[in-house]
Amino acid sequence: MKAAVVTLNLLYFLALAPLFEGVMRKLTARIQSRQGPPVYQPYLDLAKLIGKDNFNSAGNWVFRLAPLLAFSSVLAALSLLPVAGRASWFSGASDLMTLIYLLTLSGFSLLLGALASGNAFSAVGASREMMTIVMLEPVLAMSLILGAVKSGSFSLAAALSGIGGTKGVSYFLMLSVYLLALQAFVSRQPFDIPEAEVEILEGPYLEYSGPNYALFRYTLNLKRMFYSWLLAAGFLNFFGSPGLILSLVLQTAVILVVCVVVSVIGATHPRFRIDQALKYYAVLVLLALVAVGFGVKGF
Amino acid sequence: MLKKLSRKAFRRSLWVYHCNSGACNGCDIEILNILTPYYDVERFGLRLVGSPRHADAMLLSGAVTRPTRPLVKKAYQAIPSPKLVIAVGSCAIGGGCWYDTYHVTGGGDKVIPVDYFIPGCPPRPEAIIYGVALALGLVDKKVAPVDLKQMEFPVDMYRHTRLWEQRNVIYRLLGEEDDRYNLLRSEENGQDSSG
Amino acid sequence: MWLWTKIKQLTLFRKAGRVTLKYPFEPRPAPEGFRGQPLWDHTKCLGCAGCANHCPARTIFLRDLCQELRVLLYDSSRCTYCGRCADLCPEKAITMSDKYELATDNREDITQTIELFMMTCQRCGRCYDMEIKNYLDRLQTLGYRYDSLQVRKVIRLSTAEFQPEWLEKTSTYSRPERLEK
Repeated sequence: MKAAVVTLNLLYFLALAPLFEGVMRKLTARIQSRQGPPVYQPYLDLAKLIGKDNFNSAGNWVFRLAPLLAFSSVLAALSLLPVAGRASWFSGASDLMTLIYLLTLSGFSLLLGALASGNAFSAVGASREMMTIVMLEPVLAMSLILGAVKSGSFSLAAALSGIGGTKGVSYFLMLSVYLLALQAFVSRQPFDIPEAEVEILEGPYLEYSGPNYALFRYTLNLKRMFYSWLLAAGFLNFFGSPGLILSLVLQTAVILVVCVVVSVIGATHPRFRIDQALKYYAVLVLLALVAVGFGVKGF
Repeated sequence: MLKKLSRKAFRRSLWVYHCNSGACNGCDIEILNILTPYYDVERFGLRLVGSPRHADAMLLSGAVTRPTRPLVKKAYQAIPSPKLVIAVGSCAIGGGCWYDTYHVTGGGDKVIPVDYFIPGCPPRPEAIIYGVALALGLVDKKVAPVDLKQMEFPVDMYRHTRLWEQRNVIYRLLGEEDDRYNLLRSEENGQDSSG
Repeated sequence: MWLWTKIKQLTLFRKAGRVTLKYPFEPRPAPEGFRGQPLWDHTKCLGCAGCANHCPARTIFLRDLCQELRVLLYDSSRCTYCGRCADLCPEKAITMSDKYELATDNREDITQTIELFMMTCQRCGRCYDMEIKNYLDRLQTLGYRYDSLQVRKVIRLSTAEFQPEWLEKTSTYSRPERLEK
């Protein structure tokens, strides 16, 4: 039973992640006054990418390992998540730190892959991605630790319910920090600096072709969906846990609203430079620390 | 099974890499035009990518000049198969006005295998969309070779067909412009006996 | 202030709506005067090779198959659609149509071939030679008449190669005052 619930959650994430990317692309196109691709376009993209040649242009095993590592660590992270507010099968063996660790591992394997490409553009993209990860992982960790501090235990389900538990100063401060950082977590304009940037020819992903690239894109879509899910199941968890299917539907609705907001902001902003973005993230990290401080004090 | 799925999805989501091999940028501007909202080509699933490793199709523009010849070959080899090459503009098809100059190879055909040709100088954005839709299988071809005669000339059939087959000699003239005159003279002397 | 401009930016797209043309599914005619594919009219073509001589991309070829047959091949692999051939054609046999949907996967699909029948001379039975242009005879058939035999001789001579000795003759040449005497 428990295994079925975990599988269901995984399938939910896997099946819906490209759909949200499609919704974001379609909405960006509509804002630009054109008819965009159909909403199911990313599924076709991934299907086509799987059948292409898999060039190992860098010639070393790290190059082949990196996308597999990224995808599998994100899948492992997703299987830890509590479904519908209840602890899942893996809760006994994992906690908050495992989740943060696995997400950082997937970002790190992107860096590995980019540096193993041996291309100058990839190196630039990797350095920017490194800077972004260094500044953003603390914000994610702080929001989860706030929940842990409030609810007193490090297990995931407790942490998530703890974030939205008592709506004090720390809750609102953390919510605003998370919303301000959401655009950067999701890697959209104005913050899609390392990701698909035409200035450095798609940076870290430059040398990947075919199935490797499909894995990287899928990883990116899953991470985007995860961050929107965190907002839905952590901060905006007003409904408690009404039941498996109903909570999944509610989560999907909230994630759709988040996608709409993200693509609207993304379509109307230019891209930041890396130093402007780092200044922005520095402010967010400080505010997150302040919010955790308030939470510790009991506000 | 996955390969079959991928082949079916190929025509619905084509990622394009734009390679300019010494063009005047007229064709490049028209290619840029088809990505704008007015002629939006993304509704067919096309996407402009910056790296040939991510691409499925290469839009080649420009007569292939000598410095860009190895680069076009490298870009073509970097595209994972299955791939398409679409030559845009009269320079990419046969070299344009400069097909016999010192620096120009004379069209994408001499360097990489080309699948679709879009003539024009520069082709209208609608013409490029038409060519892309032809590559995706959405429309049918609208051109066919035209072969006309002024009147039925009563030359005996054997000689007529033999001459007609030799008319393809015109294509040899593409490489032998200097010898064209000698060729004409020698052919006429050879056939002058029967009149 | 910044927020207000962003909100106004968002409402901009409401006014424009969806501007994408439904192009391949709805026809879109070319504007007036558009130079599309040149079309040869085989009933008017003379085989004078004016278009072939002036094509900047040398994409029109003419060849004599035998004494009476001349083949014109427009192999448009390099055609730049400049319109020079249509401007030059003395018979207006070439029209730049407005066809621009010429994409194909085989370069031979856009070729046009015309087999031309060359008239033979009524006296000697041979065809007109392509090397020496016969525009003056055609002018005469269209009604141009010379003033006198001397004038005719001078003008006839000008179809040959220019020779500097004739420059002296031009200083004594006087144009006739009236066309009919």
